[in-house]
Amino acid sequence: MRFLDSHVHMVSRTTDDYQRMAAAGTVAIIEPSFWQGQPRTEVGSFKDYFNTLIGFERFRASQFGIKHYCTIGLNPKEANNERLAEGVMELLPLYICKEGVVGIGEIGFDDQTKLEEIYLRKQAALALEADLPIQIHTPHRDKKTGTIRTMDVLEDVGCDPFKVVIDHNNEETVKTVLDRGYWAAFTIYPHTKLGNERMVQIMREYGGERIIVDSAADWGISDALAVPKTAALMKEAGISMEDIQRVCYQNPLIAYGQSGQLKEHDWEEAKGVDPKELFEGNTLLRGGQDIAAAMASKVIT
Amino acid sequence: MQEKLLEILKHTAEAEAVDWLENHLAQQKEGFAQRPFYYAFSGVSRHFDKQSTVTVNTEDEEALSKATPGFSVANWDEFRLARVILLLTLAEQGKDTFLETLNALINTADIREQVAIFSAFPLLQYPEELVPLAREGTRTNIVDVFDAIALDTPFPMRHFDDEGWNQMVLKALFISRPLYRVQGLETRANLKLAEALSNLAHERWAAGRYVSPELWRSCAPFLTEQIISDLARVAEDENPNQKAAVALIAANSDPDKKLAGLRDDVASQLDDAISGRLTWDTLGQDLEQALLAAAA
Repeated sequence: MRFLDSHVHMVSRTTDDYQRMAAAGTVAIIEPSFWQGQPRTEVGSFKDYFNTLIGFERFRASQFGIKHYCTIGLNPKEANNERLAEGVMELLPLYICKEGVVGIGEIGFDDQTKLEEIYLRKQAALALEADLPIQIHTPHRDKKTGTIRTMDVLEDVGCDPFKVVIDHNNEETVKTVLDRGYWAAFTIYPHTKLGNERMVQIMREYGGERIIVDSAADWGISDALAVPKTAALMKEAGISMEDIQRVCYQNPLIAYGQSGQLKEHDWEEAKGVDPKELFEGNTLLRGGQDIAAAMASKVIT
Repeated sequence: MQEKLLEILKHTAEAEAVDWLENHLAQQKEGFAQRPFYYAFSGVSRHFDKQSTVTVNTEDEEALSKATPGFSVANWDEFRLARVILLLTLAEQGKDTFLETLNALINTADIREQVAIFSAFPLLQYPEELVPLAREGTRTNIVDVFDAIALDTPFPMRHFDDEGWNQMVLKALFISRPLYRVQGLETRANLKLAEALSNLAHERWAAGRYVSPELWRSCAPFLTEQIISDLARVAEDENPNQKAAVALIAANSDPDKKLAGLRDDVASQLDDAISGRLTWDTLGQDLEQALLAAAA
């Protein structure tokens, strides 16, 4: 089975993760812009971070035969630094029309402050201007209120819910998100947020329509294989293969495919690792490793 | 040049995409503004075919190399050509606007955008301002970007100083790029580079690693004692491609017959080199094909 992990912060992950993801069938990933564990103090740090997302990280993923896409945006935590936020807003037009940028994200609320709302509105308007999907981060604290407030703001700006993925849902938020016409994504973390088994229960209740499973793997304890592992658990629990394929592959493809920048033939026509990109000295595959053999020993079925 | 490039783009690109580009060029010619230019430059990816390669006929090739010797768009994709066309409009906007916008673009460019920007360098004004950008660009870890600066382009040959040139040639070898596609290897050869290349060969030999026979091309005018003894070692290699390097130097670059003692070791390759069947280009092409075949 093929997987599309639509939320994973690969800049924080190792090549071991890339190998295991490729071996498990992850063919494409979307890396949202987010904060990096500690606040940035200069606008230039955002520029270099965005450059990494559209540059070196894309290249790194390609070395493992994985197609890398990203969403670009000002995250809600750092929206609270107004000087920085204004600078980032000036940068965004340079990035949002680039190849492989599949949306504005991840944006939304963290502490649910006034500044957070201002930059959510501005970026939602930018997404409308560029006709791009939006990837929404919902707050960890007071999640239900924050999620509803996010949808209110988006609708006020004029966004189409079908072009918005609301992420980090739980049992408390999923119903209203789906009822209002949005895509509902679930982040599977090993110990916090949502474990794989809770996800199976949600699938039993809501089926596969407009639901997306992602890993949101980052610099904290998290699992870059969360999507294929959850898929395996769903299969054991008797969820239909069709629904599993929808939430782990097809739905994010449809949602972010609305950017025109994410198409199945991007990876279907690719011939694995581009041999031209493998050269001595600069390849990440040091010492002429046989990546196919390394992967084959770790396939999750 | 811009018109000719548009004409080439039209051979393959969808009419709708070309219309979009021409409309944008017309708007920018009336009154240039940065933000629409940024949108257009990155937005090329939303209008042109991601995978389509441009087609270039003989007449096109002749027109391009007549206007800018050494410049070619063979094997370019549509994104690259469309973006170079846009950059030619940017280049008409006066030095300050041109350089400020170009720097902003290069500082935020994705891989294919960087490739396009460096590809345009032979066509742009103010090369003295572009050289530091190109030199910084050669520090990349991304092959396509390095290739856009170093291969199939006259820019480094014309504008890099010896230090920049030498670093580029050494890195090209270090990362196994096909050296025959670097323009100006003969005219830019210098003793310092020849010595550095010899040292690189020794390091590789010590580590039991492969040394490309193309390395010796830049050493040809400098048959020092060390390089002659290096070539003696290469002549003894069983691989005919290694012997070919010695043969090419003996046939074309050794008026004083300093390599007389090696000619028997490479007799068969020497015949080919004298008759012209073997050249640095044919050798480079064979090596490139072999490398690609091995990687695939």
